[in-house]
Amino acid sequence: MRPISTALSAPLLACLLLSPAGADVRRPTVNDKKAPEGRQDLEVIQKHLLETLPASRKATVCIDLGEGSGSGVVISPDGLILTAAHVTGGVGKEFTVVFEDGRKVKAESLGLVASSDCAMAKITEEGTWPHVEVDREDSSKLGDWVYSLGHSGGFDKERGVVVRLGRLVQVKDDTVQSDCSLIGGDSGGPLFDLTGKLIGIHSRVDGSLQVNMHVPVREFLKNWDGMLKSEFIGEGPFAKKPEKGKGFLGVGTEPRPEGGLNVDKVGRESPAEKAGLKKGDVLLKMDGIELTTKEQFQDLLKEKAPDDRVALELLREGKTETLTLRLGER
Amino acid sequence: MNAKRFLPAALLLATAVPLPSAQTLEATYRMTGPAVHASFESVRQVLQSSSAVIQRGRKEIVYGTVVSPDGHILTKASELGDIEGLSVTVGDKTYEAPVKLAEDPAWDVALLKIEASGLVPVSLDSDAAEPERGVWVVANGATSKTRRRSQIGIIAATAREIEPAGGAVLGVTIEEKSKKLMITEVHEKSGAEAAGVEVGDRILAAAGQTVEDREALGKIVGKLRVGEDLDLKVERKGKPIDLKVRLAGRADLFGEEMTRNDMMSGRVSKRRSGFPRVIQHDVIGNAATMGGPLLDLDGRCLGMNIARATRCETFAIPAAELRGLAERMIAQSAGR
Repeated sequence: MRPISTALSAPLLACLLLSPAGADVRRPTVNDKKAPEGRQDLEVIQKHLLETLPASRKATVCIDLGEGSGSGVVISPDGLILTAAHVTGGVGKEFTVVFEDGRKVKAESLGLVASSDCAMAKITEEGTWPHVEVDREDSSKLGDWVYSLGHSGGFDKERGVVVRLGRLVQVKDDTVQSDCSLIGGDSGGPLFDLTGKLIGIHSRVDGSLQVNMHVPVREFLKNWDGMLKSEFIGEGPFAKKPEKGKGFLGVGTEPRPEGGLNVDKVGRESPAEKAGLKKGDVLLKMDGIELTTKEQFQDLLKEKAPDDRVALELLREGKTETLTLRLGER
Repeated sequence: MNAKRFLPAALLLATAVPLPSAQTLEATYRMTGPAVHASFESVRQVLQSSSAVIQRGRKEIVYGTVVSPDGHILTKASELGDIEGLSVTVGDKTYEAPVKLAEDPAWDVALLKIEASGLVPVSLDSDAAEPERGVWVVANGATSKTRRRSQIGIIAATAREIEPAGGAVLGVTIEEKSKKLMITEVHEKSGAEAAGVEVGDRILAAAGQTVEDREALGKIVGKLRVGEDLDLKVERKGKPIDLKVRLAGRADLFGEEMTRNDMMSGRVSKRRSGFPRVIQHDVIGNAATMGGPLLDLDGRCLGMNIARATRCETFAIPAAELRGLAERMIAQSAGR
């Protein structure tokens, strides 16, 4: 899951040019000063911004949820996205993401951490996507100069991605606060250090204009594998776990003497219909378990929640095939 | 260097003592803090000499931008209110009884004149390229009687037009019956009221075209901007009358619904949409901190703050447009 080096070489080169020989190329020394000590320090900050902004803007997307929108950031060439749990709202949700140039692509949410507001999503279309590097060393510190990007208030092609500058003003284990002012629509958007590495994801604000909260990347890294596997991690407040028993397929079945279940009804607009199930199909197995009676099939479905994936093995025109679909909500 | 010496200590600390559960940066080192602003002192001095503080009694109403040595000042028109009883402070000197020479409704800019000489106008380089995202900017922050303070930020987005929220309107209610457009209400403070439109007038033509239904009128109005004039022919007591109605922004005239984003934005400008072109930055401010110059690190004027739009957006009129406005408004007022 490491970002490839081609896209990296440009920002890396920029850092090398900026830093004095022998210093940590990754960490601008202006961060280690309590305050900028004059014009030169201000110019260093500005130079970092101007050099890293083009790449970080390209990777910052608007997540269009239909009613309202959030932001997110692409972190791998194959389209892995980090965003906030309260933006995706669940696992396996489908939505459109919009790049700054207006390009729209389909994406689907992977796992999330409901307690700290982390979420992952993935672009489902083929392609190589502009992306940024994650600060896996978790190297940012209190007082660091940072900038936030986002599609504030929704996508606006003429305006583009909005940038705000600030410092890390409070650092806790699972949240960091900056004085980059955020607003609705920024949720899920990226917080960058001066080298253009991703250090956090926007989560929430306080009534005060200067209180803006982000989830640090360490919280994502801690839950990385689970999120990749589309797990729903932790309990609220940022996302509500789908309830078992509320999963909805949308077929009516009749037992079949020679085994399996005959499909005799497919609900209009149901997940079953969308997945291509037809009247006359024979359901043989669900998730590898042989289906024998209607009751047994219903009991199996009761263990499922909305958005859960099920694999149905079926017999159609004498051939067996497997359909994988995602349950809806009852 | 310092960083080198501190490194072993920091490492020791990190291994020997667990980090406190929360670390907080002192206020002075934040974006709004004096220790950070100290590096912008040379730019603050430009605010000191070339920005104006417009007050009503002791209350600061709005800031202004000095555009001539002899006391021409541009400011945000809609924040001024009654010109009577205002005072203007430039540097540490206060001037009473400013005169309003001109107003440009499209930009929401007023030209004031004070009895002064030897002021230092802002440096408006209209040939300079518009600043790109990430460039430092400095604007007026809180002020005292003698001292201007700075607030800092960066250019935040692409320069563009901000269309009027809700579109441009005449400020009338119209009833349409059998191909007649009858005016049933003229709204207070609207361009229609100022132009002398009356209840009972029948609209015959707009911009020289005969109109018989709402749709036709809407099409004509829809092509115009806030602050532009529309020629209206109405029939009153059987006689045709020609009127010129200045269009207002719907939201400016009728107010707008408070959105969730507005609720988290503090005191935003009443007039915050309908500008032909703005540059956007992230300097924190409110309705009363508009009107002053937006400066770069060299103290050059990049524009004039014209609207606090939301929690994270402040708009400024770009330098080239501001220079054009200043020249035009000064020339017009001199010609009168």
